[in-house]
Amino acid sequence: MISNDSQFREILGELGLQEQRRVAALFVDNVLPLSDDQRLLQIVTSLKEGLPEEALSAPFKEAKATSLEAHTRCGTEGDWDEQAAYFVARATQASVEPQLRSGGKNPAWRAAMQSRMARTCLASESDEDSHNSETTAQYIILNNYLNR
Amino acid sequence: MSKPSIEKGVNFIKGQIDAPVASFFSSCIHCGLCAEACLFYTETGDPKQTPINKVEPMRRVWEQEFTVLGKLKSMVGLGKPVDEKVFSEWETLVYDGCSLCGRCSLVCPVGNDISGMIRKIREGFSAAGHAPEGLISATQRAVEIGSPMGVKLPAVKAQIRHLQADTGLSVPLDQQGAEYMVLLSSMEIMNFPEYLEAIARIMKQAGKSWTISSTAFEATNSGIQIGVSDLAKVIVERVVDAAEALGVKTVISPECGHAYTAIRWDGPNLIGRPYKFEVKHILEVLDELTVAGLIQTEGMETAKLTYHDPCQIARKGGIVEAPRRLLNQVASNFIEMSEPGVMNWCCSGGGGVSANERADEIKLTAFRRKKSQLDELKVETLVTACANCRLTLEEGLEANGMDIPVVGLTEMVAEHLVEDGTQKESAS
Repeated sequence: MISNDSQFREILGELGLQEQRRVAALFVDNVLPLSDDQRLLQIVTSLKEGLPEEALSAPFKEAKATSLEAHTRCGTEGDWDEQAAYFVARATQASVEPQLRSGGKNPAWRAAMQSRMARTCLASESDEDSHNSETTAQYIILNNYLNR
Repeated sequence: MSKPSIEKGVNFIKGQIDAPVASFFSSCIHCGLCAEACLFYTETGDPKQTPINKVEPMRRVWEQEFTVLGKLKSMVGLGKPVDEKVFSEWETLVYDGCSLCGRCSLVCPVGNDISGMIRKIREGFSAAGHAPEGLISATQRAVEIGSPMGVKLPAVKAQIRHLQADTGLSVPLDQQGAEYMVLLSSMEIMNFPEYLEAIARIMKQAGKSWTISSTAFEATNSGIQIGVSDLAKVIVERVVDAAEALGVKTVISPECGHAYTAIRWDGPNLIGRPYKFEVKHILEVLDELTVAGLIQTEGMETAKLTYHDPCQIARKGGIVEAPRRLLNQVASNFIEMSEPGVMNWCCSGGGGVSANERADEIKLTAFRRKKSQLDELKVETLVTACANCRLTLEEGLEANGMDIPVVGLTEMVAEHLVEDGTQKESAS
């Protein structure tokens, strides 16, 4: 059983790119209820089924647009529940970012971190901490994926 | 802010007319160079967007109140009044059509600080009740809550917990006697939490003591953007009080242009005394740490990339060489845009424009200038050092169907730090 982030990241790094994207989709899937954007659901569903590298351009464009739409603009009053949706979109964007594009590396790790940020948003108005629960959930998701 | 009125607006404008402003109006030679320097004019072709025209209500007040000819004209009924109609007509020019980028001031052959005058005239528009609603509420939140976007301490603490848990890095809160006090912008807290991680990694490698203040973590000063000096002063005082109470040597302004201008240049004038600490932009600190050999980087970005100079940092702040030294250290294919450094073209979203929904259309029109600069270069990555520029650029690129990643320079430097395996595990 995975018990810390060093181990978690090491295992993710050993996966092939296609597998990393599938795992990334599973991480995003776990925080998907924090967004009501159906475009993200479609992307994650497709990714879980397996998307070839050459088919990532359109979903990436869609995820990037979703993320830009969901950000809190400068000077407007932030709503952390809504901001969670922004990080779900960024997690999705990381999952499908084409390898050739700058930054298109470690998609599963980056999706995991953005998903944790999405969960962290829910604790931003209080001193409660939901961050660790998401981390543990991701260890279980990866473990289940490896043992499937 | 007390109840606004037109009379108050006119009086506030009058109160802003000092000797430099009077000499600016006396010396304007109507050459039109400021128009050609303003992307809101060049991209719309609308003569009303000529920078000097944006301060026409102030010129009228100056003429009527401070010149013999103007007084005579008023006496015989030839003076042009500054009334509700004028405030309504000029409001969008003063707020939507100006990012306070300062390019007009730089090119003015007689040295008129037109951008500075637009900043001053905003005091009158705000007092007259003619300021964008978004900027008014942002400023109220900044004064009441401490952040224009309503970010409270629990949100910062939640991010700190997230960062510490995922990376093992330390983010000290209220550490007495730390060398640096790091300020954040709400934009970074809400949209780009990776900035805080980059700072934690850089400070760890540099071996420097640093802290975030629980009472003054926010750097953004919307009082400056809207043009309300007494509120801007309250926001600056909060930072000054925290820095002096903690006894820090240096306050670091984040990757936010107006925050830097507010705390570095306007701050001491607003509070009426010098600081007991230094203020530096994060890029200055990174450059100093690099030159001192306290941070080492490895590897190079190979993508063809360019750097967008944030106006407040380059043109108004003079920080031009530091980002280039940093970029050349971590990027092997860095090329300059046309008119780089102090002559850069604004992203189109500064000075409160991006916080003003009403200005969305003209902002995107003005972005065409940046688009044409980028079209010339065909770069794969765009680097900048201002969270507001970053989002404005991302929106502009998206609206124009251009897929260019926009990256913060501090994060890029942090990505190349020579670190051990544990530290290198970026949370973002």
